[in-house]
Amino acid sequence: MIDAAIEANDLSKTFPGGVVAVNGLDLRVEKGSVYGLIGRNGAGKTTLIRMLVGVLRPDGGVARVLGADMLRSDRRTRQRFAYVSQTQQLHAWMTVEELCHYLSHFYEKWDAAYARDLAGRFGLAWDRQVGLMSGGEQRKVSVLLAFAARPEVLLLDEPAAGLDPIARRELIDEIIDVIGRAEGCTVLFSTHIISDLERIADTVGIMDRGRIITSQNLDDLKSRTKRVQVVFDGEGPPRDFVIPGTVRSKTEGPVVTAVVRIDDESQLDAVRAIPGVRVNVFALGLEETFIELFGPASRGEFANGGTS
Amino acid sequence: MLHIQIDPHSGIPVYRQVMDQVKYYAASGALKVGAQLPSIRELSKTLSVNPTTVVKAYTELQHEGVIEMKQGKGAFVAEVGRGMSEAERRKVLERLTRQMVVEAKQMGAPADVVRRVVEEQLEEMGLSREGESGGVTHD
Repeated sequence: MIDAAIEANDLSKTFPGGVVAVNGLDLRVEKGSVYGLIGRNGAGKTTLIRMLVGVLRPDGGVARVLGADMLRSDRRTRQRFAYVSQTQQLHAWMTVEELCHYLSHFYEKWDAAYARDLAGRFGLAWDRQVGLMSGGEQRKVSVLLAFAARPEVLLLDEPAAGLDPIARRELIDEIIDVIGRAEGCTVLFSTHIISDLERIADTVGIMDRGRIITSQNLDDLKSRTKRVQVVFDGEGPPRDFVIPGTVRSKTEGPVVTAVVRIDDESQLDAVRAIPGVRVNVFALGLEETFIELFGPASRGEFANGGTS
Repeated sequence: MLHIQIDPHSGIPVYRQVMDQVKYYAASGALKVGAQLPSIRELSKTLSVNPTTVVKAYTELQHEGVIEMKQGKGAFVAEVGRGMSEAERRKVLERLTRQMVVEAKQMGAPADVVRRVVEEQLEEMGLSREGESGGVTHD
């Protein structure tokens, strides 16, 4: 088994007032993997990431990054990962250069040349006070600082929020670059921009009400999740008709439309064999899958067979 | 290298989209036998996708005999039909044809229309009547 870079077991957090943010969550991100985390607002993504990096104490369970519990980790371990939060407070009076100089003392592998290079590519003025920058630019500074630490694990909480399309693409290209490096890098990021995730994530985790309801290889998820439409001749489907592997289904007159998890090519053979029945199978993108799972009237349930 | 375009939003995995386009270019002659494909790093940068996606596409293409990977040199378009046995080829063709025939039946397309479409596609790829006794190719 490949080593896990990030691990959580039975992790829980309830906030004062009884809000259960994370609820018995299990997670495993393998070394070298790019893990994309999606979920609706309030699903618990930020709370999860904050517990992983040790800025928030869980009520129960364990979170480990590179094998170490971040609450008890020493400085040596802590400098092996970098974290970009949604609400990073940078020292507003410092320039990018000063920030880099300051942080370089905390990170053994700090790459000063790379930091300068990134500033250029991100269009950030090296000698400008961070407090005078726009929200998007400050975000880029946070990302720059995280990358320049040359971490083994990068945890990014909505790194693309507030970035324009060009800056988002630069961020993606930078992630591609660091994961391609010989030392390797594991990335976990949360996002609402699903097309970004589809470009770079190899594994996708869908979070709902404090749990990860499915965690699997993105290509597998796409190959296996289909929209299947079954059209019956005349009166419509028999009362107890269900398409095998149905995650979510609706019937309108003679037409049954369902999101189906396909585990086996012959899974729909029996349906196809029903006389007078037409079966159409459509590919389903991740965004559509997500909306099917959480859109109006859905239950957000997902058969989680292939956690590999 | 020819233009490869991907749609990350599509339900078709990105590595499949890359495979399909390389195959199309190779089959249509736009990429000649021996032509070099971009390196994994290069293509992953151009498309802004995870390098493992390109590795997956190239590995599968090699497995299917469409390309050859030469140690330290890169990926090249292979000779047609390389790496696939007669039986394997037949199996793949049967599966694909079956898929097409099922779709055709469902939309109510008559058999002669299906045959004509297949002929047209073969012709477009320069495969028409090739190998038949006394056959004449269109070019």
